[in-house]
Amino acid sequence: MKKSIFILMFALLFVGACDDGFEELNVNPTKPSQVAASNKLTAIIKFISSERYDNWRAGMIYQSTMMQHISTTAGYWSGDKYTWNRGYASSLLDRYYGNAIKSIEDLQFQLEEESAPEEMKAIVRILRVFAYSRLTDLYGDVPYSEAGKAVIDGIFLPKYDAQSEIYPDLLKELEESAAALGTGTSEFGSADVVYGGDQAKWKKLANSLMLRLGLRLIKVDPAASQAWATKAIAGGVMTSNEDIFYLQHDADNKNGIGEVFTADSNPRMSKTFIDFLQGGNDPRLPILAARRSDGSTAPEDLIGFPNGLDSPMLLELTGEDNTDAYAEPNRSIITGETTPMIFQTYAEVEFMLAESNVRWGLAGDAATHYNNGVTAAMKHLSLYGEDAVIADEDITAYLTANPYDAANAIEQINTQYWAATFLNEYETFSNWRRSGFPNLTPVNYPGNVTNGTIPRRLTYSESEQSTNPDNYAAAVAAQGPDVLTTRVWWDAQ
Amino acid sequence: MNKKFLSFLTITLLLFFQGVTGQDKNVSGVVTDDTGSPLPGVNVVEKGTSNGTSTDFDGNYAISVDANATLVFSSLGYKTKEVGVNGRSTVNTSIAEDASELDEVVVTALGIRKETKALGYSLTEVDADEISTVKTPNAINSLQGKIAGVNISQNATGAAGSSRVVIRGASSLSGNNQPLYVVDGIPIGNGNNGSASLWGGSDGGDGISSLNPDDIESISVLKGGAASALYGSRAAGGVIIVTTKSGKGQEGFGVEFSSSVTFDKVNTDLQDFQQEYGQGVRGVRPGSQQAALEAGTSSWGEAYDGVSTPQFDGVSRPYSYTGNNVDKFYRSGTTFINTVAITNASENLTYRLSASDLTNEDVLPNAGLNRKSFSINSSAILGEKLTSNVNAKYIIEKVQNRPRLSDSPGNANFSVALLPGNIDVTTLQPSTNPDGSERGFSNNTFSTNPYFAAYNFNNQDVRNRIIASTSLRYDILDWLSLTGRVGIDNDIIRRTSVEPFGTAYKPLGGINEEERRYNQVDADLILAAEKNITDKFAISALVGANNNHVKSENLFLGGNDFIVPGLEDIGNTVSQSRSREYSERKIGSVYGSLELSYDRWAYVTFTGRNDWFSTLSFPGKTTPNDDFYPSINASLILSDALNLPNFVSFLKLRGGYSEVAGGAQDPYSLALTYEIFGNPIQGQPLGRISGSTVPNANLVAFSKNETEIGLDMRLFNNRLSLDFAYYNNETTNDIVNVATSEYSGFSGASANLGKVSNKGVEFLLSGTPIQTKDFSWNTTINGAYNEGLVVATDNVDSDVNLDEPRTQNVRITHIVGETYGTIVGVSYERDDNGTIVYEIDGDGVPRAVEGERKILGEGVPPLTVGFTNSFRYKNFNLNFLIDGKFGGQIFSGTNTILYGTGLHKNTLEGRENGLTVSGIDVANGQPFTTTVAPEDLETYYGEINDIAEEFVEDSDYIKFRQMSIGYSLPKKSLDNVFLTDVNVSLIASNLFYIKRSVDNIDPESAYTAGNSQGLEYFGVPSARSYGLTINVKF
Repeated sequence: MKKSIFILMFALLFVGACDDGFEELNVNPTKPSQVAASNKLTAIIKFISSERYDNWRAGMIYQSTMMQHISTTAGYWSGDKYTWNRGYASSLLDRYYGNAIKSIEDLQFQLEEESAPEEMKAIVRILRVFAYSRLTDLYGDVPYSEAGKAVIDGIFLPKYDAQSEIYPDLLKELEESAAALGTGTSEFGSADVVYGGDQAKWKKLANSLMLRLGLRLIKVDPAASQAWATKAIAGGVMTSNEDIFYLQHDADNKNGIGEVFTADSNPRMSKTFIDFLQGGNDPRLPILAARRSDGSTAPEDLIGFPNGLDSPMLLELTGEDNTDAYAEPNRSIITGETTPMIFQTYAEVEFMLAESNVRWGLAGDAATHYNNGVTAAMKHLSLYGEDAVIADEDITAYLTANPYDAANAIEQINTQYWAATFLNEYETFSNWRRSGFPNLTPVNYPGNVTNGTIPRRLTYSESEQSTNPDNYAAAVAAQGPDVLTTRVWWDAQ
Repeated sequence: MNKKFLSFLTITLLLFFQGVTGQDKNVSGVVTDDTGSPLPGVNVVEKGTSNGTSTDFDGNYAISVDANATLVFSSLGYKTKEVGVNGRSTVNTSIAEDASELDEVVVTALGIRKETKALGYSLTEVDADEISTVKTPNAINSLQGKIAGVNISQNATGAAGSSRVVIRGASSLSGNNQPLYVVDGIPIGNGNNGSASLWGGSDGGDGISSLNPDDIESISVLKGGAASALYGSRAAGGVIIVTTKSGKGQEGFGVEFSSSVTFDKVNTDLQDFQQEYGQGVRGVRPGSQQAALEAGTSSWGEAYDGVSTPQFDGVSRPYSYTGNNVDKFYRSGTTFINTVAITNASENLTYRLSASDLTNEDVLPNAGLNRKSFSINSSAILGEKLTSNVNAKYIIEKVQNRPRLSDSPGNANFSVALLPGNIDVTTLQPSTNPDGSERGFSNNTFSTNPYFAAYNFNNQDVRNRIIASTSLRYDILDWLSLTGRVGIDNDIIRRTSVEPFGTAYKPLGGINEEERRYNQVDADLILAAEKNITDKFAISALVGANNNHVKSENLFLGGNDFIVPGLEDIGNTVSQSRSREYSERKIGSVYGSLELSYDRWAYVTFTGRNDWFSTLSFPGKTTPNDDFYPSINASLILSDALNLPNFVSFLKLRGGYSEVAGGAQDPYSLALTYEIFGNPIQGQPLGRISGSTVPNANLVAFSKNETEIGLDMRLFNNRLSLDFAYYNNETTNDIVNVATSEYSGFSGASANLGKVSNKGVEFLLSGTPIQTKDFSWNTTINGAYNEGLVVATDNVDSDVNLDEPRTQNVRITHIVGETYGTIVGVSYERDDNGTIVYEIDGDGVPRAVEGERKILGEGVPPLTVGFTNSFRYKNFNLNFLIDGKFGGQIFSGTNTILYGTGLHKNTLEGRENGLTVSGIDVANGQPFTTTVAPEDLETYYGEINDIAEEFVEDSDYIKFRQMSIGYSLPKKSLDNVFLTDVNVSLIASNLFYIKRSVDNIDPESAYTAGNSQGLEYFGVPSARSYGLTINVKF
């Protein structure tokens, strides 16, 4: 029996040691269990600028061409020809929820837990409104109240909220955020890579976004539209190009649109856009456009390329299918990878003030706001560097030649808005749907899926049909078919 | 500690130590075999008692017995002999080898050698010839079609790619389903070092491919849980035990030399593309260089007429079919494998040293690998009771240009396959423009010039791996031994991959530098006893403890945008990123086994193991971090127990029940973590939640229980035999990634909710229809049918999404109530009568309407069959293997894209006069018939290519897998030379398909070895191989 006791002890020795230190071993030595709120804020700002993926697909391939800023013969540029590429169409949803939305919800939760100051929460709330407004404007009904909360609330299959319910909440959020912001610097400090923590600028942004979202309601609920515009203007909107909401990219954190142009030589400047710039002798023309073949920016060398053509059609039309003679976005100024990503400009605000004045007599004088808007739009190009600085006399000359036209104000203001939001195609597309201007002539490419009309929204992720089928089906039932021609709630006919 | 286990241990120990009674007369002697050589290790037992001993190295024994006792001499592989003592004090005897009783000895769990007849479970052992005659760069591939129930998938990932081996069906929904590999007693890593996915990539190879086929002595496949339960949590996928060659069985000094050369040629017969219409768009050929670039891979041009037509480079060439581009682009691959081994066996020391070189040039130009391996396997008798083994292998593997697969960027296979027929792929050379940039053939920058992909992309990896183990065995008593064993697998892979400056889709290029370090240390301590209690009743038992410790670390440097063109160095880039991944996990275990046997015809074995997992441990966790894995199996040799008719040579019934499987494979998955990522923007660091899976703090181990029964029957003096097995297993508490909507912010959540069942049958029927002195014919058929069923996924039985191919219209999905890994994709919208619904667009072109996503097939073929024949005539032998898989489907991404680009033969219909299409108009629900104009076919077929249903085809095949014709020089002709053995074989593999359902592709051409089987998308085309093997011994 001596031996057996020895063996039993030997075995038990091992048993006792079987999971020693296992708990410590299973703590990841390379990952923290939390990071500072400020680090998350910086990441969120980067996430709303996003990456090449969605800027290429939803931004450029679809919206820039639908809005006739850009054109191309390349078949995969679906927006130029109103064809449907599901993966391209859903690309903003595919990137935003997993990055921006997930991080925003997480940061909001952390700020609540840490009982952070209200102004910090307000800054995050404003960014949240911005992110969701992009999503709902482009797709209509989207997950809102339950999205991004898989860890926080255990919601794995979020429902889609009606845009008619999302919008009032976004506006309420902006109102409360603006109210929570005071003066001085928030604790985010320089982690706030937009405004360096300047609360006053965030407050102006909250009101400027309120003005933008308020005006979106013009077709579906004019009274609410006016009420929110009034409230926004009273609260104080952007007052100069110092207030612009943008992110300056750098070599380590590239501008997604810049990366698109690095990778893709197909896009040309749309004939519609070049003709507009040429027609007004617009000093922006040589900054925004250059001839593909040799980079010439002489106005007479800059020819816009028509939308809706493929190579054989072009060949048939012109006897030539090389598009190097046409203008493309000026690669030496605006398509770089370290350029700013612009989300909302002072120029846009001035144009909205002009429109609010025309519609409701708000905010002083429409002509002044129009002039301020055009001036700001030309001057803010200096964000792209020294080569993009436009001389004051050129601006004056432009305004003299293209003065405010009270008889045609809404069209003129919104056409300028369209020109001013070049490359911020999300905003261009929304404002065009809202205002109906500029008056774009649709293309009718053989095989288009919209019956020759400009799309009114983009479509949901294909994966939702298999992973979240009930909520997807409910959204389609409520909003209409998941196609490019279905209109979002505020885009009432 | 687990109570079940404690009681089990106690019973084991009690059974273990039974006293023995006294003796009278001292008897000694020598036991020899037929030839007079002394036999060590022969059991000598006094009949009717538990008194016994065994012979030493020189065959000597000594025992005290009753003067009138009968001694029973027994040894594995020999006939048992009884000899009366009759008062003698010296009893010398010889025992005869036993061929007829089939006391084959095989390697079982923990490396324990056992007679097959004692096994209550299915185990297949394959010997060296099966692996080393027809060699493949990854030795495990040589087993394909040879073992019932072992499903090997060779993929379209190139010679250095990984293999997928699944035994008795996959048992985990999202975990690793490949078996545990144990080499000379030590588990080795078989992690996948990268695989292609939706967005492309290349296969980084696996762990088992490091083994040199010439070093392998035998491979034992422990298929079911009863066989592998002693490995506990690591046995969920079965266990493959590899024993490498030692000097044993040799006499004195010997040298072996083995050389083989194999030539691989891409099998162009598989492809059957249209050869009548050339490059162009909407029925029009390119009129200019620009239009040709715009048309790219589009074959929607005009009928070939030989008229000079501009191409991508501005040169006009005749508009006619230029021949098979696949044939022109891929080269003849070659594989040379040379191994030299020295063996030496002396009284106290036996060793084998080997060195091997494998040099492969893959069929893809500029791709290949070199693997050098050095191995030593030695055993020494250090003292009367002390023996040791030392094994070490050192492997240096260099792989050049692992083929890029799946998505098109950098994937040469993609461009070669899709190039319109009027473009001769060789005109894409040179691959670069004068300025060094990619010479593209398409405005779509993602269609990479295949020569640029092959020669300008640069992808190298170097692997240094040491697998070493040592064991020491101390014989405490003649029936009791203590063995300690420790092994290490240290694997370091250094990889550089470059997308060069001038790449069309990435003009400034980029570079990745990666180092993957893997280290596994595994230690066992085993106390084992073997004792005959009476002359009929014997016990063999062991208790042991194990510690397994795995660390892995990946270092990664990325650089984008080269500054100085042509200098491919991380320092020469504008922006850089770096990351480090680290993971460490331990499993602690105790185990025990008890085998009881009665009169060598009834056996029962109990085993138990308890594993503790670091991956399931976390401060404050309330659920257990361990699990207990018991098993029982029994075997009855009816042919020995009963009087059966004479034609029954052997009949065994067996059965077993087991619980195996394990904990979470990955550490750190219990708690949410954060990370600082990327590079700061404006000096500000970026922080976020790490990963996209919702963690679960309460994960527990999953388990798999299995019942198996079997029959082993040999008839007519062993000329005909049947081995049959039926098994039924169920995995419960499988850790699954529950699908979440991407809009939840996460792509999945971990939970112990998965349930998978597998049941199936395996059979091996073998016969020797002819056996004469000069001629013999052996034939075997093995087959297995496995029904894998997804029983549960999560609380609401959501679908579990696995991979999707680049087309994104189909996905491998686990659906409750369906088979494992179904292919779910976009179907045609149909009306109640099944007629396809179309949307008539503005131009009157009917566009197939995308219907719901539905089940289109199963990715894993349930039925596998192998048919082997070997003929021997004098010194010649001929072997061939035909294998087949049936009942599965595959989604062909290649055919999908061929429809879109107009290269598929089916797209010829209507090119001349238009295509008549009938269907239901979605607008009004009414039938229509219309003619699609030739120029609109592109639109019509382009729409069909969104419908996955059209491209899911049966993956059934019957393949002439392997053939070898060998000749061994007659021994007597070698008498006067220094050679002792010479063997030459002509070999061939993947010769042709006897049956193949899917068009244009090889049915075995998945691009990943992971759980998502049944997806094909522009892998490396499969090749036929021919070659020669020479084995020489002297």
